[in-house]
Amino acid sequence: MADADEDAVRGTTVEATQIEVDLSDETQDFRLLNHLNFLTDTSSSSLPRRGEKDFEPNPTEFQADVLSASRQAMHNALAHPRLHNPKTQVIAIYAPEGPPPAPAVTPGQDTAKTPSRGASVSPDACVYVPSPKGQYFKSMGQADRKGVIWLLPEEALYLLERGSLDIRWPTSITGGTTVEEGSEEEEEKLSIPMSLQAAYTCLIGRGGLTLERFTVFSSLKRIGYAISRAPGWDESTEVDDSVDEHSRHAYTQPLKRGAGLAGILGSIFNWINDPKSTSSTAAGPVIGYGIHRNYADIYKKLALIPWYDPTLTPTRNSLNTSSPFRVIFYVYKPSTPIKKSALPPPDFRIAVINTREQTTAPTLPELSALLESTPLDPPHGEKMARQMYMRLRHGYRNVILAVVDQGVTSFLRVADVAFGKERLYEGANVPTGPKKGGNFRKKKR
Amino acid sequence: MAEAISLSKADLTVVPAVPASVAVPAPEKSETAEKPRPARTPRPPRPNYRHIHRFPLPVNVHHVPSVIPHNPLSIISVALSYLTFLIYPPRQEIYTAYFDSATSSVHVTGEKTIRALWEMGFFGKGSLSRSEPNWLEQEKKRRGLMGGNTVEEATRKRRAERRQLKLERARHEKLAVEERLKAEAAARESGSVDGLSIDGAAEAAAISVERFSVKRAMEARYLERRQQAIQNKNNSESADSLQTTNGSSGHFSPAVEKKEIISNSTATLQSIEDDLDLDTLENEEHLQLSTEEAFFLVYALGALRVVDRDNNVSIPTPSLFSLLRHHSYYPARHDSSSLEADDPFMISYVVYHHFRSLGWVVRSGVKFGTDYLLYNRGPVFSHAEFAVIIIPSYSDPYWSETEERREYADNKQARSWWWLHCVNRVQAQVKKSLVICYVEVPPPDDSSEDIGAELGRYRVREFMLRRWVPNRTRD
Repeated sequence: MADADEDAVRGTTVEATQIEVDLSDETQDFRLLNHLNFLTDTSSSSLPRRGEKDFEPNPTEFQADVLSASRQAMHNALAHPRLHNPKTQVIAIYAPEGPPPAPAVTPGQDTAKTPSRGASVSPDACVYVPSPKGQYFKSMGQADRKGVIWLLPEEALYLLERGSLDIRWPTSITGGTTVEEGSEEEEEKLSIPMSLQAAYTCLIGRGGLTLERFTVFSSLKRIGYAISRAPGWDESTEVDDSVDEHSRHAYTQPLKRGAGLAGILGSIFNWINDPKSTSSTAAGPVIGYGIHRNYADIYKKLALIPWYDPTLTPTRNSLNTSSPFRVIFYVYKPSTPIKKSALPPPDFRIAVINTREQTTAPTLPELSALLESTPLDPPHGEKMARQMYMRLRHGYRNVILAVVDQGVTSFLRVADVAFGKERLYEGANVPTGPKKGGNFRKKKR
Repeated sequence: MAEAISLSKADLTVVPAVPASVAVPAPEKSETAEKPRPARTPRPPRPNYRHIHRFPLPVNVHHVPSVIPHNPLSIISVALSYLTFLIYPPRQEIYTAYFDSATSSVHVTGEKTIRALWEMGFFGKGSLSRSEPNWLEQEKKRRGLMGGNTVEEATRKRRAERRQLKLERARHEKLAVEERLKAEAAARESGSVDGLSIDGAAEAAAISVERFSVKRAMEARYLERRQQAIQNKNNSESADSLQTTNGSSGHFSPAVEKKEIISNSTATLQSIEDDLDLDTLENEEHLQLSTEEAFFLVYALGALRVVDRDNNVSIPTPSLFSLLRHHSYYPARHDSSSLEADDPFMISYVVYHHFRSLGWVVRSGVKFGTDYLLYNRGPVFSHAEFAVIIIPSYSDPYWSETEERREYADNKQARSWWWLHCVNRVQAQVKKSLVICYVEVPPPDDSSEDIGAELGRYRVREFMLRRWVPNRTRD
């Protein structure tokens, strides 16, 4: 059976390697799960490939067999016993009251020894791990001064869901026998494990964690990104810098002819070229009926519409945005080295939107405020300098909207562009080569 | 899979050379693929688009000889050129179009004007063509008066071929299912119940191999058919017999097939009729300008004058401006009604003018569900890279002063997420980048008669939108 499937796999290699195919959009052939060997052999690194699709039912028994084989395979995969090695088991305890308030630091004493510890535990954290081990705490959790790691609700829930964490009810809730402070091992043995349902009930809705936010968090976390909360997480913190007028000044005004010698000379040449001065923006024609020297001058005269220049706007405070159009997650690529105490600038900034609450796409003020709260990220690099289309696609500021529609997430990258900064008529941007060759990108349909 | 493709390509190149050996089974053909490529019928050379479309706008430009500092004579030549222009100014051609109030569009009928507006800046669309007004040429080619193919014909042919292939595929799949059913029935009769279910997966491999060979066979078969069709044509057999031999099997509904047959027979009828009036072929096509294009040509470039169809009087620019604004609603508003700051024409023209003034060739994006497409230099040179959708924005404090205005503005600028996702997905499919263009609508101001000042009150801001696929940015 496995051999046969591998044959089918080899057949579809070409299709599977095409990056244009969005893997997440395909239906899965679960028969492939049957010969997945990661369950037994962790050294194998090959990923399963997908089979061929049947588009409609036919009365053959063959198709029915394939279908039932596929179902059986999925069942087998789900029924595979998942074992937890007691050596790697991590036990956490739910603390509904949150972390204890940091004791007032007596000056000159503690700060010298452990300056970074303890101060960074978020008040939203509600699960603590007394003896942390394993790789997960490299990018998650915050340690307090005792070396106990505190997890935010989304982190705890994510770890619980993937079976890497065992959350226990605290004795204060279960009302078990009170144990002495030092004997934590005793406490772990006696405590009651929290079910997944209970964890969802307790943790979703805590400290601003909505189901939409958790969906986005866990889906990105699962494919390897590191995620931290952005300052805009808490909806109630809103700062009004009254910078709303900033973006108004970022529009270019149509250029006026300057004074001085250049202006005089310019008007003389203007008169020679267009002695009756037929050029008029009031009633047209804008470029006049006179003699035109080159097309670039014509295009310059045509520039009447003010356009937005993203480089002119100062970056606004990220708290001066209104929910849901505000950055709430900082996302780091798996390759980015992360140090929890000093986070680098994020690779992506994400705003999470629930389409059932925010039913309309953003209006200009909303989108503008969101983008202004992100730092300027102009196109850079040799490739971008060469390719205008690439520069335009990159934009000057960018943000990612995670639009969650009842559990289905679509990520949209929005970038601030300025077509006005790329003057096509100046000639440097003229593409070469015939249409068929595809100048900048692959062949289009 | 890859093998199948390369093989079929080999077949494609070889078959025209060996029309007699179509019965040769597919695997043996790979040998013949090694033979030198037969000379194809020479394609008519592409028109020199670089030369035809060398002017980006329908405006004449007269270059001044350059001044060379160490050569005083060059100054004289510059002065001379200015002098000649002063004494004998070159005439700028002003084209004529007329406004058709019934359809709220601007029509151009002059042959020369149509060519000029198309060649210099790609303005308008042929009323009977896909884009470039080439109906006459197309018609001549169709009637055999001219050689070569038009783009429309190429598209039609490609579509017909694709359809034929799909029919073939459906037929083969149906055959495969029937064979499978027969085999299953036979297996059931012979009593071996487990014969099928035990090695079901082995058969999965078998059928996938089978499917690829089906593809291969299908292509070979298809080519064979085409060869036959060509021969049939040469023998001047009727098109209907070809239709009945070809893919009337498969599981397309009989209605579709019937329709095809009908269209085919009408085509033959048509060709008979065409033979009668070969001599009297007149160009029945006109160029249709969108209101934005027409106004840009009139107001910005002064290269066009729009004539009222009823009384043959040219419409002055300010009246044309308000006329087009009134006609941007459906049904068109009456001339006496007041102009709004957010007339659809105002908003779309602002964006049109903005992109035109930056040197883009702006054309309608209706076929991709957007407002505009932006071409670099023009559609004959490259595909449009950007698709623009326009959303008005009512961020001016005026629009949020009263409850009524706020409601109106909210209604006007609201777009649903589903709509946005739809547009975005279509653009990704056709490999274009989606640009959302917000136009800030100013408060209404009736006093101004100055069109330039009026346009300057609108502001344009662009955003680029595209899907972010987390799986692809992990590196």
